[in-house]
Amino acid sequence: MAGPLLGIRVLDLTQGVAGPYATKLLSDYGADVIKIERPDGGDPARRIGPFPGDRPHPDRSGMFFELNSGKRSITLNLATATGRGILRRLAAGVDLVIESFRPGTLARLGLDAARLEAIRAEAALVQLSNYGQDGPYRDFEMDDLGAYAMGGVLALTGGEGREPARIGLYAPLFLAGGVLATYTIGAVFGSRRTGRGERVDASLMEILASSMDRGGPNLVAYQYSGSLMTTRSASQLRNAMPNGVFRCSDGYVSITGQPNFFPRMARMIDRPDLADDEAFLARLDDPEFLPEVEPLLREWLAVRTKREVMEKGQAEGLPVSALNTMEDVFNDPHLRERAFFETVAQPAAGNVVMPGLPLRMSDTPGEVRPAPTLGEHTVEVLTGDLGYSRLDVSVLAQRSVI
Amino acid sequence: MAAFDPGDDPRPLAGVRIMSQAIVWAGPTGTLILSDLGAEVIEVESIQHFTPTRGNVRHVPPEQAQGPMGASFANRDISEGFWNRRNSFNYASRGHKSITLDLRSEAGRELFFDLARVSDAYIENNAAGVVDRLYGGWEALSQVNPRLVMASFPGFGLSGPYRHFKGYGATMEAVAGHTMLRGYRGESPAEVSATFHGDPNAGAHAAFSIIAALIARERTGRGQLIEISQSEAVAHHVSYGFLDYSMNRRVQEPQGNRDPSTAPCGVFPARGEDAWIAVAVPDDAAFGALATELGLPGLADDPRFATVVARKRNEDALEALVAGATANATPAEWMERLQAVGVPAAIVYHQPDMFDDPQLQAREFFAEIGHPTIGPYLYPGAMAKFERGPADLETPAPTLGEHNEEILRGLLGVSNERYQQLIDDEVIGTVYLEDAR
Repeated sequence: MAGPLLGIRVLDLTQGVAGPYATKLLSDYGADVIKIERPDGGDPARRIGPFPGDRPHPDRSGMFFELNSGKRSITLNLATATGRGILRRLAAGVDLVIESFRPGTLARLGLDAARLEAIRAEAALVQLSNYGQDGPYRDFEMDDLGAYAMGGVLALTGGEGREPARIGLYAPLFLAGGVLATYTIGAVFGSRRTGRGERVDASLMEILASSMDRGGPNLVAYQYSGSLMTTRSASQLRNAMPNGVFRCSDGYVSITGQPNFFPRMARMIDRPDLADDEAFLARLDDPEFLPEVEPLLREWLAVRTKREVMEKGQAEGLPVSALNTMEDVFNDPHLRERAFFETVAQPAAGNVVMPGLPLRMSDTPGEVRPAPTLGEHTVEVLTGDLGYSRLDVSVLAQRSVI
Repeated sequence: MAAFDPGDDPRPLAGVRIMSQAIVWAGPTGTLILSDLGAEVIEVESIQHFTPTRGNVRHVPPEQAQGPMGASFANRDISEGFWNRRNSFNYASRGHKSITLDLRSEAGRELFFDLARVSDAYIENNAAGVVDRLYGGWEALSQVNPRLVMASFPGFGLSGPYRHFKGYGATMEAVAGHTMLRGYRGESPAEVSATFHGDPNAGAHAAFSIIAALIARERTGRGQLIEISQSEAVAHHVSYGFLDYSMNRRVQEPQGNRDPSTAPCGVFPARGEDAWIAVAVPDDAAFGALATELGLPGLADDPRFATVVARKRNEDALEALVAGATANATPAEWMERLQAVGVPAAIVYHQPDMFDDPQLQAREFFAEIGHPTIGPYLYPGAMAKFERGPADLETPAPTLGEHNEEILRGLLGVSNERYQQLIDDEVIGTVYLEDAR
């Protein structure tokens, strides 16, 4: 169904995870995203997997499906002058050019800000890079672990006295991609209003450094007080309210709460007497009391399943949830009832159950469409959008331009 | 068209007026971005309820200011007026305006609807049902202003069996499968610190949806309601694990810092206290360069490590060898040396050191922003640099109710007498009431 961005045309020169996640959001919500890929293998995400049956194939990578839903893929050899010419012709018809090459590459391809201005003044240009378009680290390489490390967040995750541990493969890059999508659509909105294409320089390091979960506020806390709000430790001992991840009979649960939530916990663990025990409650502000409180919880959890704990705790108003495994996620009753997952017919892999739309818009919902096979839309874009003849296209193919 | 004429303000969202009841961590991430993009963000607070990012430390014993809690207040000052000194509010609400309205009062609700009439969008992430009970929610607002866009993002969404479940970032992440994939290989997920990754993600998505809906409005002429479930939005971040289950019925477990398709990929001890270097080797050439820099030139020819397949097979031994060779230089030295030979290496930054980072300094990432009560401090700057309409990094976060007069009298035309009555009736104010919660 038509998304809000119907009619917005995007020339997508991003690859990997963060940039493509940003343009995936544009695509799912209705923009026409033309993805340029190298003829020799295409986007590296085509090699990431996971693959059905663990058999690698460039048109069957799960991550590629996730990151490129609904885009049109054309292959273009940008090492050739003809390829670069086609790139500029494509740029002449879009509202947005977005790229994640190494800084300086776009200019070498003949499509820097000044050139774009001449070709298409109203198009926005968004450039994502590891560290920004300038500065001493400009040419440095980075992967998702590095982004998390340089953003200052990796040092805060893991166990006390142990090596820092990341919070899941690619997760920081997805976060950065979501933030980038927002700045990008803002740039498009502004460029349409003023008629002058905005120029955006976004750095993965800076996006992660600013993040509201720990990045930004912790940096400000350091300025304000000379120390951080949190450190790398499984337990942030501030009081005697049990807080964090706990084992139960069939897995784990996550519990969040301050001492004022303890009465709810007391009722959950069938100790309503403690909910009204003023002397007990008064001691909850003291972290030294925790070793006496926590066993009460652990003992109760040990013989209950994660779902039982979640249901009972939530019935008392305690923020507690089961730690879903991916099997649990797949079958989760809430996500199922909300029809979050989408079964998408991927051209080279058949039906795949995918995570669905992250935003539900009442009037212009958008949709999750299949990801393209490598170069699936080359002919369509060249003949349809640019007006090349079939003969032109076969000549371009012979000359290895496409 | 936006709510008002932006004149020659070049910022992308200039002229867009957004009412905000965006709270905790998720909401403010959204308004931070909207405000940096030039929107006029008006926070609708109240003197009856503490805004979570401003904190509520009125009854906290003063000596606790020296503990971790105090670190989030300028000069660790938790005395009265603390709500204007809190890090999270002063960071994420920079450039915003603040008004206070008691929405439980008829007068407060009337002004709230008056503001909705002249606004483009409204963003809120209270628990499901709260705004419906308070003033009628989307149904009421869309009647008052059919062009209004509303983004609503309670933790689990507005429908489904968990819709009334209580939750914070950690709760939503657990449901999305995120928490089970965190941490050290072969260990319990209880061994690592909590993260709240879903919060900033949901906030950024809410801001995205508002701008997208404003674009749609140009075409349709009407606003719409956007609903975001934090757990659904963050489920995409672990889609690698999800799709492995979806396609192969394999339940993934925490991989620590390893990467399924390459090795080595991890953090290794460097010289210094709690000093680490993150290294991710993409291919055999980079592995050869790494081995040379580590002083282990034979490693690249060793059949146990010569190819990525071999390195994955012998990853424990490989990591032990690398870890044994990295302790003689600092993280910054390692990054320079390894990047010079094409190996992606990164400092595992401790945040206090980031203020001295040469890259962030060269790009003037940190901005000094003044403040009427606490004075100037350095803050993280905009997350993306806009050449033509850069973010306003001069206007500080508002003090509580700072813009009551500007918005209520100036914009909504409240008379002098009525304004005084609103103060007398405690509908508006600039200090939290004694019994504020």
